[in-house]
Order: sequence, then structure tokens, then C-alpha cells
Amino acid sequence: MKIAVIDADPIVRDFVVGTLMYSVNRDVLPFENGLDAWMHFEDDGVPDIIVADVNLDDLTGMELLEKVKGLKQDTVVIFYSDLSEKEAMVKEAGADAFLAKPFGVTELFSLVQQFVVDGR
Amino acid sequence: MVRLGAEPSKMREIELDDVFMSRLQLLIIMSKAYLSGFPLGRHRIKSILENANHVKLEAVGLEEDLEWFEKDVAFNDTLGFDSAFYQRVKLLSVMAEAIAKGHDLENHKKEALEKNLNALCESITFNKQVSDMQFLKVA
Repeated sequence: MKIAVIDADPIVRDFVVGTLMYSVNRDVLPFENGLDAWMHFEDDGVPDIIVADVNLDDLTGMELLEKVKGLKQDTVVIFYSDLSEKEAMVKEAGADAFLAKPFGVTELFSLVQQFVVDGR
Repeated sequence: MVRLGAEPSKMREIELDDVFMSRLQLLIIMSKAYLSGFPLGRHRIKSILENANHVKLEAVGLEEDLEWFEKDVAFNDTLGFDSAFYQRVKLLSVMAEAIAKGHDLENHKKEALEKNLNALCESITFNKQVSDMQFLKVA
């Protein structure tokens, strides 16, 4: 099980990485922007789960979603945002989940339950 | 598509105080999981150490702010907690660090940890039960 978290904000990114790492007891890959993440995925393979801010630098969240799903359809892509209008956009684009900010431990644990344990 | 988190009308950026409270809740869960005998693993240990360190540093900073404000004006900080709360938070972070470093807590220390957790949960009205998180039973 490979999980990646992509966010330019280190405070939120580190919190999400730490919470997921504890939940699944596996390493979680952190990335600052979409392009770095995509280059890593091309070399090392696309993760099973990607959790990312919608607003990514270099490669937008929507562009990354398209590339990821094109290469590995069953990768779970979860986006988060503080803007409500992004929800419809990511749904239309085929994301698996939307996390509305602010969120906390409970929401991240729910994601683990649904996408890791239950395997939805 | 699964949807979680804030209602559309309540959506906003995640602030530092949000992250502090979330990390504190995570540390409480980590400690409760230990007391429940849930297994640790390499990555969980790393995560506990990092989280405990974050919470400890933030609690020290917030407590210093609180002391500074209390000297000048009768001010309760933005989170509305007193210095005893931050002492409890620091104690929890030290205890969690000890757990992650493999120190086996004796019974009286486990009791002290439980009392501290109960007091903190009461302060922040946090009632998450580790029994709700069955996946933590698997390392």
C-alpha cells in the first residue's frame, strides 16, 4: 500500500502525513507540488492513494488527476480545499473523495476506514 | 464521490490553532491506543515521536504567550485555556514520547496517563474512543 500527500503548505502536509502514517503504519510520501509528485510517480510507480490540495503548483490538481487515472485507473485520488466551488469540479473530474477544509483527525481516519480497510 | 469535512458555508483555511488541536487529538488517540494494548510499528513510532514533538513545541509557545498576556492585561488566550491545560499537554507529549521510545510504563504511570487523558478530553470536549478505530489493532 503506497500513499502520497501533496501540499505546498508544510504545516497541513506534515499533519496529514503523520496522521495517515500512524493509521496505516506505513511510510507516506510527502510532496510540495504536483510536478515533483508526478515525476516521482513516473519513476517509482503511481501510489494506491493520493491525498492532495486542489491548488497545486506547477501541475494543477485536475491535471495530476487526469495523468494519474490515465496510468492507473484504480488509484484513489482524494482532494481537499477551502473553496466550496472546487467540490463540483473535482467530482466532475473523477476524484474519489473531497475533503472540505477545515478537517481533522476524524475525517482522515474515516478516509482510512473507507479506502484502506473497507477498500472502497 | 465521498464527501467529508466542513459544510460548504463553514469552509475556510486550516489555521495554526486548528492544526494544534488536531495534533493534540491525535496524540490523545495514540496514547489511548497504547493503553488499550494496540500494537506499535516502526512508522507508528516515528509518527508518535514527530507528533509529540510538534505538540510540545506548540504548547510551550502558547503557554509563553498566555503568561505574557496575563502580565499586562487580564487576557485569556484565543483558545480559552489556562496554563494548567498547557502543563497537561506538555505532560502528555512527554509521556507519549516515552511510549514511542519503548519505555514500558509501570501501572501507576499508566494510571497517571489515563487521568491526564481524561482531564484533557474534558477540556477540549473530545470523546473519540479507540474502540471506534478498529484498524489500529493491526500494525
